[in-house]
Amino acid sequence: MPAPISEIETVTQPKLSLVGLTKQYAAGLPPAVDHLDMEVGEGHLVALLGPSGCGKTTTLRMVAGLMDPTSGSILVDGQDVTNTPVHKRGMGMVFQSYALFPHMNVAENVAFGLQMRGKKKSQQTTSVAEALDMVQLGHLSKRQVRELSGGQQQRIALARALVVEPTVLLLDEPLSNLDAKLRETMRTEIRSIQQRTKATTLFVTHDQDEALDMADRIAVMNGGLIEQFGSPVDIYEQPRTRFVANFIGRANILRVTVGERNGAVSDRQFRYAVEVDGLGSYEAVGESGLENSIRHILIRPHRLRVEHASTPGANGVVGRIESFSYTGDALTYRARVGGTLLSAELFTSNEGIIPQGSDARLAWRADDALILPEMVE
Amino acid sequence: MSVDTQSFTAVEAAQHPAGRGPQEKRTASRNRVTYWALLVPGLLGLLVSFVFPLVYMIRMAFNEGEGNGIVRQTFTFSTIAKPLLDPYYWKVTYDTFAMGLTVAVLCVLVSYPIALFLVRTTSKWKGLLLALALAPLLTSAVVRTYGWMVILGYDGLINSTLVDAGLIARPLQLTNNMTGVIIGLVEIFMPYAILAMISGFGRVNSQLEEAASSLGASKARVFTRITLPLSLPGVVTAFLLVFVLSISTFITPRLLGGGVVQVLATEIYDQTTGLLNWPFAAALSVILLLLFGAIIFAYQGVIKKLGVN
Repeated sequence: MPAPISEIETVTQPKLSLVGLTKQYAAGLPPAVDHLDMEVGEGHLVALLGPSGCGKTTTLRMVAGLMDPTSGSILVDGQDVTNTPVHKRGMGMVFQSYALFPHMNVAENVAFGLQMRGKKKSQQTTSVAEALDMVQLGHLSKRQVRELSGGQQQRIALARALVVEPTVLLLDEPLSNLDAKLRETMRTEIRSIQQRTKATTLFVTHDQDEALDMADRIAVMNGGLIEQFGSPVDIYEQPRTRFVANFIGRANILRVTVGERNGAVSDRQFRYAVEVDGLGSYEAVGESGLENSIRHILIRPHRLRVEHASTPGANGVVGRIESFSYTGDALTYRARVGGTLLSAELFTSNEGIIPQGSDARLAWRADDALILPEMVE
Repeated sequence: MSVDTQSFTAVEAAQHPAGRGPQEKRTASRNRVTYWALLVPGLLGLLVSFVFPLVYMIRMAFNEGEGNGIVRQTFTFSTIAKPLLDPYYWKVTYDTFAMGLTVAVLCVLVSYPIALFLVRTTSKWKGLLLALALAPLLTSAVVRTYGWMVILGYDGLINSTLVDAGLIARPLQLTNNMTGVIIGLVEIFMPYAILAMISGFGRVNSQLEEAASSLGASKARVFTRITLPLSLPGVVTAFLLVFVLSISTFITPRLLGGGVVQVLATEIYDQTTGLLNWPFAAALSVILLLLFGAIIFAYQGVIKKLGVN
């Protein structure tokens, strides 16, 4: 589904555009990347997010020039670079395994791209020192690569890619080899360096938190297609497909029959009467033109309230608590309502926990139930 | 050579961090006993088949020989001094060294692309291709040498083809000289060179090459700056192996050299089986051993310099 193009990107020329980009590894196989269209604005960080095998790394490698597309084109500043060999594309890439040259020390690694560009020795020294200071590793310039920790290698790889002032910075799952704590630190650091250098960045990840935290835009990919392209808030709050709703954050998804439109919430959001299969009539919101169709609604677990069964409420169902998990500050109930299992996540309070096996009312505000535009066949 | 050092370091590594408590100490000492017990059969084998003959041979070089199997038990430096004072043996030693060097260089040059291809290919035929590259090892060097005599001979395949094609008037002299020996040895040692290089190409990594090209390196520069430096350990190992094998082989120099090519190995063979002058053969062997020693010493230095652990 083509995503609405943001205002910023329509005003200025995109830094990077992918037009109908397709990669088919072999005839007869489904394409790994299927007619991908995307525009990345100057200075933006765009995350390609999706499960493994969704084509995100293939896309990145095609942009880098490490792989030839089957069809389609790649434009940088409006210039077609599809047939430009990798070493002339002027992009910077950080690999998942960092790919630091083991036979060179830190400074030599960072200087490599400058050498290839024929920069003067004195200029190399200055730029390398600047790049290393940027990643706060100036003191390690004479170290051998094997003496560095994972986080340090990752920063050197970033410095090496940025020192050449690349047209586009490409990051291939750069944080996946780090431990959880370091990953969060590096997330912030990469983002702040990216914003300081204003490097247009394409970032491949399978981690939704990473994408939501770092990206200006997220392209959620599945099966070689972009399911949705939008800002983190858009992707989380207004998912267009069941896949996106499930992939980003946790989701309760129910199949509904949408009835009549009952008024407007905003100029793009409308309120509809919906019939949840086997559970009764409720209200939900969605874009225009959804009347009289079968759709899914999404209710995020933390938008569900859990009350005692006797509490009356308009938008709510009664279900039986099957299990709960308590993690101190959060409490997650899993309740069976008819044939569906709903999960509700709340902050703990002094109200006590509803015991397993008892009935509870799960209630939500009509505005928190979103009708997904994707058709249900 | 490398096998020995590896097994010792493995034992050291396994013994090293044992623990602190008495229980752990007991386990550690029991482990130590186990390690040595496991080493005994191998060490005994080496002692009987390697150390003892070596010592015996070195001792033999200090006896006096008169040929025909007569050995005078004594302790003299005259036997070992003889080849050192005779310009003929200087020439033989020089020829041996030059032959080893030429064969090693050529063999590494022709095997390098094959080894690099085999390491990098993702073809499903990789296993088969590797087997094909190593298949010549299934035939003995003697048989392959005879094969080369047929191909390189006066009326051999190459000469008759070139003459029939009118490219040369008279057949080329390709056997019974150093040229033939070198051609034969290069081909015979290629599988070893390929194997040694494949095992030494561990640091060659396509992602590093991709990283280099993304940083602006052309294909040629990726090769000279990344692939070649990272493959050097394999190259050096293959070079050493082929060199050592070349200077110690006598079958191919004897057969393809047709008696004209005299290297240390053929000379030792003649002294041992023809003239039955064992002390002198032992003296020549000691010289060959010293040559090995020098080369291996240089190899250690190079490997250290390449920074391979």
